[in-house]
Amino acid sequence: MNPVPTNDNPFAGDNSGIQQRETAARWALRVGSYIVVIITLAIMLHIFIKGAPVVFQSKWPFVNTQFLTELPATLHVIEDQQGNHIETDVNGADAVKKKLGDDFRSEKTISYSGGGILGPIVGTALLVIVSVGVALFLGVACAIYLSEYAKHGKFLEMVRLAILNLAGVPSVVFGLFGLGAFVLTAPTFVDVPADRSVFAIPLGFTTLSFEGWDTCVLSGGFTLAFVILPVIITASEQCLQAVPQGFRETSMALGATRWQTIRYSVLPFATPGILTSSILGIARAAGETAPIMFTAALAFKDKLPWQKDLPPLPADASIFAHWEQSVSRFLGIFTESVQALPYHIYTLAAKIPQNEYAERAQYGSVFVFLVLVASLAASSVLLRKRLRAKYRW
Amino acid sequence: MTSLPTPSRPPLRSVLLRSRKHTILGFDPQKLIKYFFGSNASVAIIVLVLIMVFLLREGIDFLPTYQRELQTYRRAGLEFCDIIDQPLQRNQALSSSLRQAVSASLETLSKPARDRRDAAFLLKRRVEDKTLRPRESLTQVLEKTPPEPEQIEVLRRELGAASAAAAKALDYPAFFSTAEREQMQREFSALTPEVTDLPPLLLTLVEEFNAKDREARTQFAELVTAQEEFEEAAEPLQEVLDELKAKALETKEKAVEFEVLETNRQRLLEAAATETDPKEKASLTKEAEESVAEAANLEESTREITSRTGELREQVEKYAVVIEKAAAVLPKDAGTGAARKMVNDVREKIPEHAREMRAAAATLEGWRWDKPVSIFRVIGAFFFGTQWITNSSWQDFYGFVPLLTGSLVIAAIAILIATPVSVVAAIYTNQFASEREKELIKPVIEFIQAIPSVVLGFIGISLVGDLIKDVSEWSWLQWVPGFPIQERLNMFNAGCLLAFMAVPTMFSLSEDALNNVPRAYIDASDALGATKLQTVFRVIVPAGISGILSAILLGLGRVVGETMVVLLVAGNRIAIPDFSAGPGVIFQPAHTLTGIIAQELGEVSRGSSHWQALFMVGIVLFAISLLVNWCARAVARRFEPHKA
Repeated sequence: MNPVPTNDNPFAGDNSGIQQRETAARWALRVGSYIVVIITLAIMLHIFIKGAPVVFQSKWPFVNTQFLTELPATLHVIEDQQGNHIETDVNGADAVKKKLGDDFRSEKTISYSGGGILGPIVGTALLVIVSVGVALFLGVACAIYLSEYAKHGKFLEMVRLAILNLAGVPSVVFGLFGLGAFVLTAPTFVDVPADRSVFAIPLGFTTLSFEGWDTCVLSGGFTLAFVILPVIITASEQCLQAVPQGFRETSMALGATRWQTIRYSVLPFATPGILTSSILGIARAAGETAPIMFTAALAFKDKLPWQKDLPPLPADASIFAHWEQSVSRFLGIFTESVQALPYHIYTLAAKIPQNEYAERAQYGSVFVFLVLVASLAASSVLLRKRLRAKYRW
Repeated sequence: MTSLPTPSRPPLRSVLLRSRKHTILGFDPQKLIKYFFGSNASVAIIVLVLIMVFLLREGIDFLPTYQRELQTYRRAGLEFCDIIDQPLQRNQALSSSLRQAVSASLETLSKPARDRRDAAFLLKRRVEDKTLRPRESLTQVLEKTPPEPEQIEVLRRELGAASAAAAKALDYPAFFSTAEREQMQREFSALTPEVTDLPPLLLTLVEEFNAKDREARTQFAELVTAQEEFEEAAEPLQEVLDELKAKALETKEKAVEFEVLETNRQRLLEAAATETDPKEKASLTKEAEESVAEAANLEESTREITSRTGELREQVEKYAVVIEKAAAVLPKDAGTGAARKMVNDVREKIPEHAREMRAAAATLEGWRWDKPVSIFRVIGAFFFGTQWITNSSWQDFYGFVPLLTGSLVIAAIAILIATPVSVVAAIYTNQFASEREKELIKPVIEFIQAIPSVVLGFIGISLVGDLIKDVSEWSWLQWVPGFPIQERLNMFNAGCLLAFMAVPTMFSLSEDALNNVPRAYIDASDALGATKLQTVFRVIVPAGISGILSAILLGLGRVVGETMVVLLVAGNRIAIPDFSAGPGVIFQPAHTLTGIIAQELGEVSRGSSHWQALFMVGIVLFAISLLVNWCARAVARRFEPHKA
């Protein structure tokens, strides 16, 4: 606390009351701000305490690899006459029951709570790859226009207004848009257009039909791309603006065209910043649930996207056929619907009755999810800080 | 000196003017690059337009579809039945509060006896739960043929020991005397699976309660009979109404079936018209002709219903008379204060209810089955409808008000909590905090933004819900309206979490606003001898108020549009919250605009009226978000401080 000033000055009034009020108000404000900090830390701590035991263990390799490398499954809990609980999966349940024989007492099944969360992790990774790919391309190009080419005018104003509004659109509305646009309408190449096709353009060997991509990684990824587009545009534009104007002027003075200026004098210095900021976009895309609910996510799937049964090739198949099959297998990854971490957490939290087994799966997934998202966000912040120290002009 | 041949130099002018442009398809590549980026910039505009287009494409048909449905609702006579049925719903509410009053009155006498009985049963259940395993094994062995007396004996002893231990460990409430406790312990220790009779002490307790209950019923005989009379009054009316409803429903089903067949036939005929192959054409036409369905004779069946108007009115009149009489004999006094209040409340409401019923009966005459439903009524039914009922066997209603109220109440709670916290935090960090404090507060608050909303929703279910419920049961907090709360998942819970989500947005924008206050303002204030506090609250905050207000508005936008938290935490009850509960209303569950889309869209078929209704809700949400954004910009511009 500040010392009360001695009243040496004959003109000064008695200000001891003011001093006290100042201090009181300062403390009130301080308490107000620390409340938020404390609540945040408390929530983190709660998740850490409940979730860490699921993911880590005291034995080598200290990480519960089963939880991270298995697909989600239904958990069967079998109780014997002595009251011991045995946890197992569908296949194990029968064996355990046979072994117990008369000792068998009861069996409980808890959906989604067994196994691990590999499926959701892979699904989220695929969605993030597609969405960030699309959003970076569109967003950076848009930012280059806004920062390097645009002149004040109607068009620029409209673009800025659109970006602002796009940032405010509720995520569930993006979900509806994705459902209408990508799942039901987007153009695709098919041999025979479906009934629901809006219109089809015959191209001879195939038909370009506007019949949608169905619920798949691609639909979900594109939907998420537009959700994070405003974030990417704003961040990229800031990075481009941060490159000193002198760089551009120097380049132009040497006779470079505008594109050469951008290519050699602006982008190289802005790219690291753009990439770090886009990590924030990744975190956002990974965390959104509502946009993928109807466009990509499944509550349960017992296969990874690339585990698909393709017809076996004949023994004498040409190298071309092999090549074609691997390509179609690769592309097939993106036309599969997947599980995703946020949707998995939603399913665990809302669709199954709560008990200790469900709780373990819930806190485990939430912990992993939060660690992923938080480390992305933190690395973005740290990298930005380091970059700022490196490029100081 | 030989003069070196000077290299022939082209004139400078021609170099500068030499056209070095290579073109692509007649375009300057620099221009092309520019257009490429420009077209990418327009993506934001295009996406906004596309969102509108696709929402409208799926949702705009809602109005005509709903109009058709409401038309059928009227034509089949369902509306006719609802004229009486809707006000009759009040009967249920009144009767349930009477029932509550009766049971509260009875309890004044019978509560101790009932508590003793219930406690005893609970204790017995606990002993049984604890001895479940030995009991089950004993049952299994007992059922075995041939019986194994030895094993039975062993198991019996085991069960006895377990029961005795469990009975001993029980925590007997204070209202059992020592003798009773001992008796109970004895009786519980002797519980066996094959004896299903209650132990004697329990029987005594049951008898004790029945006697008290009888006594109470005689004491409050007036109230009990009045309540019974009131409940029975509606029965004859309900019977007539049920008959009519069954008839109307049948008609409606026929009409709907006919419509489906008819559209199918039209489609076949269309297909036949465009078909070139004569054979195919013939078969299609034939199929279409075969599927000609008989149109439901709506007029006739509706006349059947309306012909009973007189009877219905008579019944309503009778009902009104009976309930008025019941109101007259309702005793002035009841067992407890709360019960008395409830009874008086019912007495006041009954005449109103009777009037309402009579008015409804009077409008029956004016009802026309063939009056068309205007599009304005449909719009009104959507935007001002108070019921959102789907998958109903009677009639689906898509009324928007319950969802909107839920969303708005939750948003209001969230904003009321988040505004002070984030503004205070922004003022503190911006003006008072030391560098080290800033290094702590800012990253932590910004980190909240990275927490996915589904995680917060999960926290709401697993942590906050229980926390609020526990707190609401503390005895010294019972003055808070709505405490103790009934539902763990409610609007307050959702509001708290959304406030938490909105804090980072509002905090950083407010802090920016405070940062933008010109330095000269602060210096001027300091120079005038203002203290730090005076400078902050009289100069800096007023100067930054536009930014703070627009931060609050943007936070509101974020809160209204949030989906996962409200879907998981708000309780998902589709009804307008009961505002008569006062401020305690915030502890009721509700459903929201965003939640309903997320919850129901996955389960409806494309193109159905339900699907279209959900897209309509999406359109409204989109409009709200645009409006909020526009307001935030307008506010920011309106109060823009004069930059020094």
